[in-house]
Amino acid sequence: MGERMKQLIFDAGPLINFSMNGLLFVLEELKKNCNVEFLITKEVKEEVIDRPLTIRRFELEALRMQELFKKKVIQLAAISASEVQELRKLRNEFMDVANRSYIAKHKAVHLLDKGEAAALALCVIMKKKTGNEIPLVIDERTARMLVENPTHLGKILEKKFHGTIDIHLKDLRIFEGFKIIRSTELVYIAHKKKLTGISGPKALEALLYGLRFKGASISDEEIEAYKGMK
Amino acid sequence: MDERMHILADLKLVAKALEHNEYVVIKQLSNTIIDHVTAHQDPDLLSVAVIVYALSKLIEREQYKDEKNWKKFYVSYCGTIASMISSLEKNDDKGFRKAIAANRSLIVGLGGKLHYYISDVITRARMNKASQLYEKGISMEKTANALGISLWELSEYMGPRSEDKDNLYISLPLSKRIALAKEVFG
Repeated sequence: MGERMKQLIFDAGPLINFSMNGLLFVLEELKKNCNVEFLITKEVKEEVIDRPLTIRRFELEALRMQELFKKKVIQLAAISASEVQELRKLRNEFMDVANRSYIAKHKAVHLLDKGEAAALALCVIMKKKTGNEIPLVIDERTARMLVENPTHLGKILEKKFHGTIDIHLKDLRIFEGFKIIRSTELVYIAHKKKLTGISGPKALEALLYGLRFKGASISDEEIEAYKGMK
Repeated sequence: MDERMHILADLKLVAKALEHNEYVVIKQLSNTIIDHVTAHQDPDLLSVAVIVYALSKLIEREQYKDEKNWKKFYVSYCGTIASMISSLEKNDDKGFRKAIAANRSLIVGLGGKLHYYISDVITRARMNKASQLYEKGISMEKTANALGISLWELSEYMGPRSEDKDNLYISLPLSKRIALAKEVFG
């Protein structure tokens, strides 16, 4: 029996980041070499293809992304009508909880929007459907912090808002258990597998900084750590 | 104090600063407005932040002041700000929104280079405020939607951020995150 096809779910940010850095071919290479499917939601497709097709400045990137979609390098998750309903319900629940759980100066801070929430919801649906925990590729620091360290996110918001933040931590348990990776991890893997088309001592650093400058949240320390890895 | 009352106070200070063309003060006031509206991202109030920031740039730059229609445009622009103030004073939400819409439509009537210059100023003002909102911890998508820009535009505008220096957003050791990726890619 062949090896099970692995899957990854993508938020819009990493796809935009890959596109803006001229790295979309890396996804194609990873898919070809690693027996993996890259899944997206309808919301992400709108953000990475449908909407930029209407903006002249990003039309070319949108067409490139559309090609990737036509070749099924990225694809809509195959879910039933009832699962779509469930996804919408979950998406709204995630948005509702995230956007009412951090209170600054008596006001709930609106943190998350529907694309990120839908990507999280798809992880839940796919886990139910396949029994596998599928990692989510998301560059967005806020969604990542909500999942991995909501208390620390509260502390960051306190610093940013210059005041106390009340957190409804109990409600935020809804975000526990997701597996998150960033575009930077994908590029690191691709670099190690010699799939990025560039090599040499500065290649990895250049790739990581390129991604950071287009929205991937990665610290200086992490970039240094990456560079030191064998 | 209610968000709109904060904005009213800020707009009055903008009007005062306008008397002496104090664009630095006006720019700072646009930042203050963002501080007041970050939590809820009320679209009307975010528009005011963009309008005020753009105003500071309009005063600061010289390149288009000889263009035909500049003076008329500028007087109308300031007039919409005066209308926002009087509407907020009367708790007239409808009038406030109308003044914001009137400000937006000013650019429609412009032609030639002036249209190009002003569009650029407003686009940059929107990006500046988006960047500020994002810095506050709001997600990129939420920020982009709140300011009416695409994620592509926002990504393009991303530059070095102080948070990347101080490891503020590290929420999982790198080794663990790489291990997650290796589970998929071997």
